[in-house]
Amino acid sequence: MIVAQQLLNGVVMGSLYVLVALGLTLVYGVLVQINFAHADIVTVGAFAAYFYMHVLGGSYLVAILVALLVGGALGWLINVAIFEPLRAKRSELLPLIATIGVSVMMQNGMLAWFGPVPYAFETQYSNEVLKFGGMFITWQNLLIITVSTIAIGLLYLFMRFTFLGKALRAVAQDRDTAGLMGINQSQVIMLTFVIASAFAGMGGAMLGPILVLTPFAGASVIVKAFAIVIIGGFGNMEGTILAGILVGLIESFTTQYLDPGWTDLVVFGLLLATLAFRPTGLIAESTEENV
Amino acid sequence: MSDGSSASIAHSAPRGPSPSALLQAGKLLAAVLAIAVLPLLFTDNYWQSTLIVCAINVLLALGLDLVLGYAGQLNLGQSAFYGLGAYISTLLITRLGVPYWGAFLLGMFGAGLAGVALSVFGVRLRGHYLAIASLGFAVITYQILLNWIGLTQGPLGIYAIPPPPPLALPGLPVIAFAHPANMFYLIAGFTLLAYLLLDAMLRSPIGEALTAVREDEISAASLGINCAAWKVFAFGIGAAFAGAAGCFYASFVGTLVPDAFFITESFTILAMVIVGGMGTLIGPVWGAILLTILPELLRGIGDLRLVLYGLALTLVVMLMPGGLVQAAQAILRRLGPRRAARSSP
Repeated sequence: MIVAQQLLNGVVMGSLYVLVALGLTLVYGVLVQINFAHADIVTVGAFAAYFYMHVLGGSYLVAILVALLVGGALGWLINVAIFEPLRAKRSELLPLIATIGVSVMMQNGMLAWFGPVPYAFETQYSNEVLKFGGMFITWQNLLIITVSTIAIGLLYLFMRFTFLGKALRAVAQDRDTAGLMGINQSQVIMLTFVIASAFAGMGGAMLGPILVLTPFAGASVIVKAFAIVIIGGFGNMEGTILAGILVGLIESFTTQYLDPGWTDLVVFGLLLATLAFRPTGLIAESTEENV
Repeated sequence: MSDGSSASIAHSAPRGPSPSALLQAGKLLAAVLAIAVLPLLFTDNYWQSTLIVCAINVLLALGLDLVLGYAGQLNLGQSAFYGLGAYISTLLITRLGVPYWGAFLLGMFGAGLAGVALSVFGVRLRGHYLAIASLGFAVITYQILLNWIGLTQGPLGIYAIPPPPPLALPGLPVIAFAHPANMFYLIAGFTLLAYLLLDAMLRSPIGEALTAVREDEISAASLGINCAAWKVFAFGIGAAFAGAAGCFYASFVGTLVPDAFFITESFTILAMVIVGGMGTLIGPVWGAILLTILPELLRGIGDLRLVLYGLALTLVVMLMPGGLVQAAQAILRRLGPRRAARSSP
């Protein structure tokens, strides 16, 4: 029974990691760049949801939507301010460092504004427990699984079956050829950033009640998101989804059977093992297609 | 990346060795004078400690610059090597009673060895993959320092780490390193030596081999250069520099907690190298000094100081992508022709 319960907890955490990691993987697939401020979009999403609920008195479901919109807007802004101007330089380092600066700015801006004391982010679903077959799940966790599954499913359908989704994948495969086919790269890259950041914001709204909500909340998740993206294969969407769930499971089982302090050791041990034996990712089948 | 090498090429222009040698000697003299005078100008404890942190950060940045700017390896593990040097030397001193300088050498060597090990493993990874692998190494090292409580006392930390033993030179008063000014002389002197050593090395064929590996691995390999070996070499030296910085840090601060070696430290060091200008040796020196002093100068404005720091970092990257030193050189070059015209016979 403990096994089943931990399995469930692992899937809850895992699906949130997937929401955050998918954004990193999407941006990497299309741009071969890392947005280091991705973590802080998660934090901003969490705070946006918190203030929408606790100051404006809105409902949690709408708060998730608000966080999604705020995240998307931030992604747009970061692309316009940082990635767009640096694109011509074709450097893999400069955007990384510039977004480290953005991340320092955002974290300390939030620290100055919200203070270091953790916020108690509770939703109306946090304390309602559903019991079935000897297992416990809060409505909150049920909501997390449902919303993430819908969001990930919609993204998947979008990428497979819509014109824009196909354009996005085309740019990921070969930017120059896609340009020759009449696809507007800048628009596709912008779209990628908005989707990636909207997912991060939404992830933040659902991570807020789980994590200790401080201006540094996102930073604790992002390192794991990096590990997930590598384990799943940089730019590989299916791989990222599986790796995210896997890391969530590793985390819940390590906490149960070993020691909570060991989770990062196990996750990053797996990361190094992946890099040693299968550098293209655990689930990589095709190296041509990156998203 | 390629523009960075122009500085070192300009320095080692083959014709007229005497003026350039003179210039080098002048710069060296200026550096020695600056190191000698600074603790006399800033006499209070706070600024002398800041000077020491500057010297430590310069050492860290130089080590990373060798790996990143010269060998072209994106290494985010510098915080781990820094921490390994600090913990290895401290544990040798406090647990086994190893003399300070013996522990120092072993700490440096241990960190260097870890660098070689990571590099041997990471040699076939490129760009962001190596970055994340080295980041993973930094996370694992941090977690071990935090969770192996029997050895490192985890978050409780190690206290009362002694400063380096006093130096008694014949005919001179005993130099006690408990005094921050003397500690600064020691660390800054070591850092200057490290700089000169790197400079000599990079002017030798070793520097050319490293640059060749950075610019184009396939061409370098076709010329008989063993790319993997050179990358491992650079990684090892860079990590040993960080290890030395860690030994100094432990004996300067006197306490060790794992949080000092969290992965954000790697990003800070990376920012120093980039802001100063990677692929030049003097760039990371200025980058480290600036990014150490700037948060201290901004202390007056309270909560928003790190916001401004982040903004400054972003703006430098956006507006001066080659770093401060390249920007300064560009300005000098623009002023240059006029000066040359005036002074030519």
